Formats: sequence, C-alpha cells, structure tokens
Amino acid sequence: MKKGIKNIINIKLDTSVYPLEAIYSAAYVFLDKVYIYLDSADSGKNINVNLKSKNNKDIESLKGEFLNELLHSVHRMHIYKNNKKIREYIVERALFSSVDENNNDDFDDPLGIAVPWEEKYGDKQ
Amino acid sequence: MNKNLNLNKKLYKIKAIKIAIRDFSHLADFDIKKELDYYIVKMKNINKEAADVIIDEFCNYVLYLMKKL
Repeated sequence: MKKGIKNIINIKLDTSVYPLEAIYSAAYVFLDKVYIYLDSADSGKNINVNLKSKNNKDIESLKGEFLNELLHSVHRMHIYKNNKKIREYIVERALFSSVDENNNDDFDDPLGIAVPWEEKYGDKQ
Repeated sequence: MNKNLNLNKKLYKIKAIKIAIRDFSHLADFDIKKELDYYIVKMKNINKEAADVIIDEFCNYVLYLMKKL
C-alpha cells in the first residue's frame, strides 16, 4: 500500500433517512470491493459504516459509489412499498382468472355420480 | 496471536455469526460471548500476519450470510 494513502473511511447514516435494510443491501453489493464493518452507538438510530478498501483502491471514490448504491436501495424499497397493493391485486386477478377458466359446467358424468341425492331418490320417500 | 471482534447485536445476526465461525474454524480457534450490546467473537491462535485480513473477511462473510439467510 502506498504511504499516505488513506484506505479506511467512516460514514454515519441516519436510519430515518437510510433504513437498515437499505444499508444491508448496499453493503452486500460492495462486499467484493471493500471490507465493511457496521456499528451503532445509539441503539441503531445512526449507523456507523466503516469502509476499508481492498486492493488499494481509492476509498473516497468507493465511498461515493457506496452512497449512490445506498440511494438506489432506498429508492427500490420505496417503490416496493408503494406498489404493494397493485402487486397483490395483479396476483389475485391472475389466480382468479386461472380458477375461472377451470370451471366447466359441462362435463361428462356417465355413471350419474354428480346427481344430488334428493334429485335421485327424493320421489321414492 | 489472539484477537477480539465486537459485533453489534442490533446489526449482526447470531445465526450468521455462528455459521461464519464454523466456516472459518480452520483459520483460528473461535469463541463467542454475549455482552450488553455486542457479540464478542474471540479468535485465538490466529496467524499474526493474516489476522487483519481474516477479521475483515469474517465481517464481510457475516454480512453475506445475513443476506442469504
């Protein structure tokens, strides 16, 4: 490693802005580029993200990329949350359509099994 | 050489830590202890020259496992 080149950086993230799940998602993407250590001094309200560069890569540049990825993660979470009802509706419609197609009132019953009891024996009582 | 690693309980899952310990067991003798806000991962008989890298890789591996579990 070149002398004087900083390879560790700390980022403090407010979890009300960057949810923990978004931090995990961004960290996962960067596991091959940096060593990541997470900590919190206030029960998770703020997360300290320590990034240590692998292979002497510029840590400031990696920090910028990490923050961009973090924004992407937050954005994806918002989209997922906002589209939840639409997704559920689409799935319900798809399942309902599938069931409706399978209903077939005209089917063969050569042995007369599908005839109700009352219809078959009701007159005899 | 012995090293300790403190992992915040609110941020790291014990299940992932235990799996990572199992998978790294050939690199050191591991022990885990719970304290107030942290899991203390103790590593004994760790190679002096590789200690920092092993600890860094261990942390990353725990994060990887948390995503997978």
